[in-house]
Amino acid sequence: MSVGLFFQLLANGIMSGGMYALVASGLTLTLGVVKVFNFAQGDFLMLGAYLTFTIVVTLGLPYPIAILAALVSMAILGALIFLGIIRRALNFGFFNSLLITVLLVTVIEQGSLLTFAGQARAIPPVFPGAMSIGEVAFSRGKLLVIGSSIAVLVALYYFMKLKIGKAMLASAENSDVATLQGINAKQIFWMTMAVGCGLSGIGGAIIAPVYGAYTMMGTMVFSRALLVLMVGGMGSMSGALIAGFLIGIVESFAFQFVGYLNLVVILVLVGILMFFRPGGLLGKPMPVPGE
Amino acid sequence: MSRINMVGLGILVLLLLLLPLVVGGFMTQIATTTITFAMLGLAFGLGMRVGLPRLDIAAWWGVGGYTTALLMKAGVSFWLTVLAGGIIAVIAGGLLFSLALPRGMIAFFVFCMVLSMAIYQMFGSVPLFGGWGGTTGVPAPTIGSFVIDTQREVYYLGLFFLMVTVTVYYLLYHSRIGRAWDSISSSLKLARSVGIDVVRYRMANVLIGNFFIAVAGGFFVSYYRAAIPSIFSFQAGVNTMVYLIIGGFSHSLIGPILGAIIATFIPEYLRFAQTYQAIASAVVVILILMFLPMGIMGWVDRRVKPWFYKRKWYARLSNWGVKEQPKMPV
Repeated sequence: MSVGLFFQLLANGIMSGGMYALVASGLTLTLGVVKVFNFAQGDFLMLGAYLTFTIVVTLGLPYPIAILAALVSMAILGALIFLGIIRRALNFGFFNSLLITVLLVTVIEQGSLLTFAGQARAIPPVFPGAMSIGEVAFSRGKLLVIGSSIAVLVALYYFMKLKIGKAMLASAENSDVATLQGINAKQIFWMTMAVGCGLSGIGGAIIAPVYGAYTMMGTMVFSRALLVLMVGGMGSMSGALIAGFLIGIVESFAFQFVGYLNLVVILVLVGILMFFRPGGLLGKPMPVPGE
Repeated sequence: MSRINMVGLGILVLLLLLLPLVVGGFMTQIATTTITFAMLGLAFGLGMRVGLPRLDIAAWWGVGGYTTALLMKAGVSFWLTVLAGGIIAVIAGGLLFSLALPRGMIAFFVFCMVLSMAIYQMFGSVPLFGGWGGTTGVPAPTIGSFVIDTQREVYYLGLFFLMVTVTVYYLLYHSRIGRAWDSISSSLKLARSVGIDVVRYRMANVLIGNFFIAVAGGFFVSYYRAAIPSIFSFQAGVNTMVYLIIGGFSHSLIGPILGAIIATFIPEYLRFAQTYQAIASAVVVILILMFLPMGIMGWVDRRVKPWFYKRKWYARLSNWGVKEQPKMPV
């Protein structure tokens, strides 16, 4: 394998890894705090990407507006879905709310199919052209994705250190005691959902210039996010972060050698990892439903 | 089971047996598909008895299906292929689940989802299974020289498998193993504290489920005469959860069957909506989940049964055949 190819694969891996880390962080956050496994997490990414397309191409507005719009609109959508639908199901256990999110996947994907007539949309690159690092040429778009996703993840890290971030973690650990401490648990729930979905949305906006927007991208990313969760630990944000990049890189290299069977390869590696290090990689995971 | 319950069950079985004689071929076909889905839903219900949501059912369904497809095309008898599929599912399941089961419900849950996707990918990518077009031209099952190939005959074959499945599950649920399972799903820590080996009982549960799921797969493939990856998709696995929850997840035996019937009929009734059919079905199910969170049986338990309990004739009917209880001294 040439050096150039190696770094290309690495860059691709970091790029997708960033996406997986974003989606998995949102997923794990919602799981830990709201105790809801948001199956539709990937679809918010897809919606963010399509929204970016609409804003940049159809409306002709600058790209940063699309990023902001994706973040805000997906956050609002997530909060609304929680308040309207999921909240009712919460009282009846984990599985009802889970199933509702599963059905939401169908609704969102079918809705997107009908709205966009199933066509994948391409978005013109924001910074066209290539840039060289050392001897290897990378497309600027990919570097932008890597940079943006890292920026968002860093912002997330500091967000968790803010009062509201800590309130979320507290609610995750024990929402009754958190309420006693003066945290409005009900508010925290929809806020967390908003943050989780917003993360996906902004991920979609970030990846859109490189991968475009297509209906199944949500499910694709979600399936990788599941692997990230397994490796990083169910309620662990830092685990999601590291595992996200790890899975992205492994997937990138595996695809080079075995094509679409890379999912099987990753599963085997994850299985081995689980054998030696159950419970994920590191960090203090939030408690999740079920022992 | 009380005498009146047995009579009720008998009537139900009779109706199921008479079904193809009363309705047309198309309905019989739908009923056969419903039977397969009911078997899968029952397996999901089995997993829920130990607190394990199994989203990998579609994968094992496929394992059974492809085993039957490939072996039957090689000339092996249908019944042997079903057995083989079951055994493969149990062994493979045993190996794979040993990694995930000790890690807890959520880890198991995510593992199952990933497993389902990976196996689906394998069915499509590995040339042995016929690629994404699948394996077609599977011969019809036979009993001796009798070939099962009309719509009705296949229906009865499916009904046979369904009844065997339900009977086995019923016996298990009412045995010591079933009671251990119930204790695990009620309170895991408490079960552990009285010495119940949770992991072992859970493993037994999922492996038994695997066997019957694979059997359902073998049946379905011999009914469909083909094994195509798109049948065994992740969505199909998710649907099994829908059947149980719509039907009522506290009733592990009736719930999935009822749920499968409803879930098959909703899209049929919504067929007029065509392109909107999928969204409309999903919305209907969401509404059911929001307003009938305990499923149809939950609603029956809350609203329908009390009406009966208040009727004197029902009290007399349920006491039919019940021996005279010794009276308490006043």
